Amino acid sequence: MRRRLVSRIGWVLCSCAFLLIAVPLLDLVLTVAIKGASAFSVKLFTTSSNGVTGGLLGAIVGTTVLSLGALIFAVPVGVGAGLYLSEYGHNRLGAVIRFLSDTLTGIPSIVLGYFSYITMVIGLGWKFSVLAGSITLAIMIVPYLARITELSLQRVPVAMREAAYALGAKERTVAFRIVLAAGRPGVITGVLLSLAISVGETAPLIQTAGWSNYLWTGKLTHEPIGYLTYVIWTFINQPNAQSHALAFAAAFLVMLFVLAINIGVRIVLRRPH
Amino acid sequence: MLLTAGLATGTARAATTGLVETGSTLLYPLFNLWVPDFMKTHPGVRVTTQGTGSGTGIAEAIAGVVQIGASDAYMSTPQIKKNPDILNIPLAISAQAVNYNLPGLAGTHLKLSGPVLAGIYSGKISTWNAPAIAALNPGVKLPDHKIIPVHRADGSGDTFLFTQYLSASTPAWNSTVSYGTTISWPAVPGGLGAEGNPGMVEALKQNPYSIAYIGVSFHEQIASAKLGTAMLQNKDGKFVLPTAKTIATAADALVGKTPKDERISLIFAPGAESYPIINYEYAVVSARQHDAATANAVKALLTWAINQGNAPAYLDKVEFKALPAAIKRLSEAQIARIH
Amino acid sequence: MKRSSPFRLGLAAIALVIPAALVLIVVFLIQYAWPAIFYNGIRFVGTIDWNLGNLYANPVIRHGVEVPLNANYGILAFIVGTLFSSFLAILFALPVAVGTAIFLAEAVPARFRGALSMLVELVAVVPSVVFGLWGIYVLAPLIAHYIGPGITAILGFIPFFDIHRSTGSGFGLLAAAIVLALMITPIIATTLYDALLQVPRELRESAMALGATRFEMVIKTALPTVRVTLIGGVVLGLGRALGETMAVLMVSGGALNYLPDTIFTPITTMAAFILSQLDSAFQDPTGMAVKSLAEIAIVLFIITLAVNAAARLLVRGAGLVRNV
Repeated sequence: MRRRLVSRIGWVLCSCAFLLIAVPLLDLVLTVAIKGASAFSVKLFTTSSNGVTGGLLGAIVGTTVLSLGALIFAVPVGVGAGLYLSEYGHNRLGAVIRFLSDTLTGIPSIVLGYFSYITMVIGLGWKFSVLAGSITLAIMIVPYLARITELSLQRVPVAMREAAYALGAKERTVAFRIVLAAGRPGVITGVLLSLAISVGETAPLIQTAGWSNYLWTGKLTHEPIGYLTYVIWTFINQPNAQSHALAFAAAFLVMLFVLAINIGVRIVLRRPH
Repeated sequence: MLLTAGLATGTARAATTGLVETGSTLLYPLFNLWVPDFMKTHPGVRVTTQGTGSGTGIAEAIAGVVQIGASDAYMSTPQIKKNPDILNIPLAISAQAVNYNLPGLAGTHLKLSGPVLAGIYSGKISTWNAPAIAALNPGVKLPDHKIIPVHRADGSGDTFLFTQYLSASTPAWNSTVSYGTTISWPAVPGGLGAEGNPGMVEALKQNPYSIAYIGVSFHEQIASAKLGTAMLQNKDGKFVLPTAKTIATAADALVGKTPKDERISLIFAPGAESYPIINYEYAVVSARQHDAATANAVKALLTWAINQGNAPAYLDKVEFKALPAAIKRLSEAQIARIH
Repeated sequence: MKRSSPFRLGLAAIALVIPAALVLIVVFLIQYAWPAIFYNGIRFVGTIDWNLGNLYANPVIRHGVEVPLNANYGILAFIVGTLFSSFLAILFALPVAVGTAIFLAEAVPARFRGALSMLVELVAVVPSVVFGLWGIYVLAPLIAHYIGPGITAILGFIPFFDIHRSTGSGFGLLAAAIVLALMITPIIATTLYDALLQVPRELRESAMALGATRFEMVIKTALPTVRVTLIGGVVLGLGRALGETMAVLMVSGGALNYLPDTIFTPITTMAAFILSQLDSAFQDPTGMAVKSLAEIAIVLFIITLAVNAAARLLVRGAGLVRNV
């Protein structure tokens, strides 16, 4: 009897835990939506900002470009590293890579931004650029990708690998066709989480991507670009209510953006639960 | 589809000169009012603006990453010595208010002086009904409550101006804490650090009996939050509010003292009607630009800013004031040096 | 199995890019901050007072290095702020994350799992600065008017939890810890949730067959098998907490030159401090200010290293068997 009571209390506690994370989130989304409501209109999506007001077209395009750029750099490295660590990384080298990768997450985003500012913006002469911004974001998210990939691929049963090897498959085939395929849902989760982190970052972009009120011209260097998080960070510091509303609208869009990708990918993959 | 459109316009725009401006968040709204109208009359120039911070504006202008750095503070002499090619060119005049949240006293303008504020921010004056404050405000019922001094946690031109006021009026503060965009604030029990001007407003709103220094551009927010504005004691001993008249008086009083390189503090200006916390908003520009086209574009923008841009149509929107005529001439002389 | 097939080597090379990036950054920081490291010595981590000095006066030469007048760089207050806030954040986040993961994986019917788990992942999507805004407008007043007095009522006999000993504003250590906890919970929860879902059925069924309640099965059978994943998630979350800048900057109250004596007192963390001071540091003509900020980054790096090493020992010490 007592065990049943304890178990029941346990479930109640677990649901409370869930509420403790769900309720603040809902309140946050609601706050953002309400405060940003006055900025929502068709013009929001069709015009670019003029610095303190206007629309968010340039920023939306910029966020898309920078995040895709970050993924282009981070996914091959991150997933590759995760694959290495889970399959062949049970040795000294793997331990070192794992350890240093985890430590990389602790480097503040502003430090990464300053590093990129000195090395890429000034050092390589790229000035404010998409390339500098994307690479900085990639450095930020790659450790998460690597570790989450490793943790998911680790859970693929040994039996599957052994069976494949027994059938004479090569390492590359086992890695891609068996392990990665089986661990795909976890890896996708990692990619989405990393995308989320990259889309929501401001500090590393201010000194690398700069900011632009205009639509991206396609140049990878020597041209600053806009992004939604700048709008949130800077417009909220303006003395007029319009800018504030725009800042919250941008915040809402950022969250919507990733939510949409999340849902889209889920539907395409149809996670086997 | 958007991408190809962007690429297409990119090539079409290849003939234009691109200028990048970054820096002071106080000057940022004004710059964004200027840029679209400037670009209408100068189609060959494309200006990008960014609000980051005065220090960033200066550093990136020195590094050549941007062409124009906006700053609320002029560069220090040691910094100028290290970078002799850099010009500090005033574009407009801004001011700062001291605001407070005193329940019941929102309508009254408390009289405060530099030494009293220095005492509050160093912890020596800890309650609102302290004798020093009461002496300045006879007849006002001051509450018996601890003061919560709020300062800026981030580096800021506003801190620079406020601490210059404290330093200019209070020798004890000048010799210990001094002034800067960020200073080593004395540890006051109950003190708070807020992020950005809106953060200051929010901190005031949420904490009764608090006091803070906020740029005048935010007067609407202050008013709607029912916060009070202090009358500050100027060099002549009179207490004044920040109005167009008091700000202009202060600016005019120091025109004669402004050096050719225009690096001067307008704080604590002489004159019975002078408001003590005003400053020039500077464009920090290198006299040596990358090429002639860029140099001409920079000169055109700055010239436009101090002429057309100084019209009330723009300045009134941010509560800034126009440059006195003599200062405009000094600025134009500096602009001519850009090549 | 060939020990060093080209595929394996190629993959190793890719994996090495990550530590290479870290080493590059650290080397950059160290060589950049070297004059500051040399000038500051051990006082850096032992002193509370941080003073950029008078940047408008002529710099002076001390110990052979050019520094601003009255400059003094001590970061003990920020180290304390970082450790306290991150430790509290993990303290709050761990039970919430574990409870949430169990709730989602075990208590929720399969068809709702996708939607509800996406809700948790959505928390990770919220930009840092938006957490900061929510913290200013919602959380700080909440702490000032409800949570704070509540905690004081229950635990007020311990001075650390007495709100009356502080300003009474909601900005401070508690606000920073709560915001951090919210930000890192999804990292821990989603990795744990994914892992729980993949616990083999046989394991669950055998436990239930032996008469365990569903809850006991989860706690005693399923959870232990995913302990490695859990610790991995916690380490990632801790890394994020230690390096978080904007959200913390906006709600922590910006303390300077003093240590927190209650949970409601303002603090400053190292990462947030670097962000807020960088702009002013640029105005230092001697460059010492920026170099000292870079030195803060190095100290933070060392702390992160130490924390990760401790976590590793925890995993090794528990003698766990991994599921590979």
